[in-house]
Amino acid sequence: MMAPPHSKESRQMTLLLDIITTAAILFIIATGLLTIFGVLKIINFAHGAWLTVGAYCAVAVGDLGWNPWAALPVAFVTGAALGGLTERFIVRPLYARPLDAILATWGLGIIIGQLITLGFGRDVQFTKALLPGTADVFGTSYSVYRLFALAAAIAIGLGFSWLMEGTRLGLSARAVIMNEALARALGLDTRRIRWVTFMIGCGLAALAGTLLTPLTSVDPNMGVAWLVGSFMLVMVAGQSFAALALACLLLGGAQVIVSTYVSPILGGITVAVLAAVVLRISPKGFSRV
Amino acid sequence: MSDLAPADTALLSLDGVTSGYGPISVLQGVSLAVRPGEIFALMGKNGMGKTTLLKTILGAIRARGGRIEYQGRPILGAEPRALVEAGIAYAPQDQPLFQDLSIRDNLRLALPGDRQLGAALDRVYGHFPFLRDRLGQKAGTLSGGEQKMLIIARALMMQPRLLLIDEISEGLQPSVVTRIAQALRQEREQRGTTILLVEQNLRFALDVADRWAVLKLGAIEDAGAVDGGAHDRILRHLQI
Repeated sequence: MMAPPHSKESRQMTLLLDIITTAAILFIIATGLLTIFGVLKIINFAHGAWLTVGAYCAVAVGDLGWNPWAALPVAFVTGAALGGLTERFIVRPLYARPLDAILATWGLGIIIGQLITLGFGRDVQFTKALLPGTADVFGTSYSVYRLFALAAAIAIGLGFSWLMEGTRLGLSARAVIMNEALARALGLDTRRIRWVTFMIGCGLAALAGTLLTPLTSVDPNMGVAWLVGSFMLVMVAGQSFAALALACLLLGGAQVIVSTYVSPILGGITVAVLAAVVLRISPKGFSRV
Repeated sequence: MSDLAPADTALLSLDGVTSGYGPISVLQGVSLAVRPGEIFALMGKNGMGKTTLLKTILGAIRARGGRIEYQGRPILGAEPRALVEAGIAYAPQDQPLFQDLSIRDNLRLALPGDRQLGAALDRVYGHFPFLRDRLGQKAGTLSGGEQKMLIIARALMMQPRLLLIDEISEGLQPSVVTRIAQALRQEREQRGTTILLVEQNLRFALDVADRWAVLKLGAIEDAGAVDGGAHDRILRHLQI
């Protein structure tokens, strides 16, 4: 039996689901950034731009009249391909100068934003809902798409666990994360591992952008706001996906609570503020998880 | 200087190699040759350039001059991957294991793929049987001696033609040193593996090596075959 929509139980269940699904969405967005940070040891400040590219893939798929679900593989492949070119021609020559690499990705993000503006205009755009409607969750009516986002986050998390723990590429990537000099001495092709990792990270960012489109409007600068939150979450998580999931749950949960009970404007800066507090107290954040 | 093999019969030869770190020159023109199938001990006190020499051979430190040849071909500037594919394995002294990976994964990383993994594992179990029952254990939880045996096991996984070993006996109890010495001798006898051993442990080095050289202040001070007079000759150099 469904609870009345304004009952205390229904509001509590909605809040709980909002916390969980917000954490899932943050996890989806930050995963690509963490992937690149873990292996390449650089923060890809073009992450927000790749996310925007993914969102515009959804717009383009809609404009072409294709099935809206096709946007997911299109975005991943587009992000991965462009990420591969970026690593090869922009990031790779700068590995010995990580600060310059970070600045280069920041500049690249600005250029991508301008190119998107040239191609699609400045106007806010909307895409077709992938999964409209609501579903009954323990007697509370809740957005089907946000539940799908939760399933997508779990699938991405499990997929990554399999990739890292169950494949040769994952083993090589973990070796590079732990001790790149030793990995190189053992004959691992660290250049290829970095390239593939960067491609996967950018592909995931674009995929996240597509997954966001039913929840938010699309504009050439949409990635910037998400970049700040993702960056702070990755700083708190270190190089651990389990720590990232925990950071998304705790900080994302706080964001939802502040937005609901205090102010949505304050909620928008909650992740960044709390991440700064966590790092002030514990410089390693949640990375021991 | 005496008894350094001519380069044309050597598996690995260095001719006038110089290298260092930034403004500091460490190797001051090192020349030596390691013959196929021999165990060559490079001795010297701390800070004399032994590890720098190994890292220069492997390309981890760029040589500033001279020539390094492996199987008659120059290898200066070669990618580490190319050296591994050519049959050169390295057992490092600094940060030699992936501490948070399992024993199995540390060993797996020595091979380009998992197809030969079973046979390679069986081979190293012959040298170090304890590995068989502890494959899932994290490398960082092993004792110091077990970690050193794992380092040698990983290097032997790929059946190298040339094995470069950096101070493997340091801090080990004699029983572990004996097991490592046995493993190295067996590899040489069964597969003809050539070994360049960087060491300070005189007893261990003379136990396994055929020839030796002493590196002092970045240059070869003395060299010879392992014979009755080797111990005192080397000791004199190490004490001064």
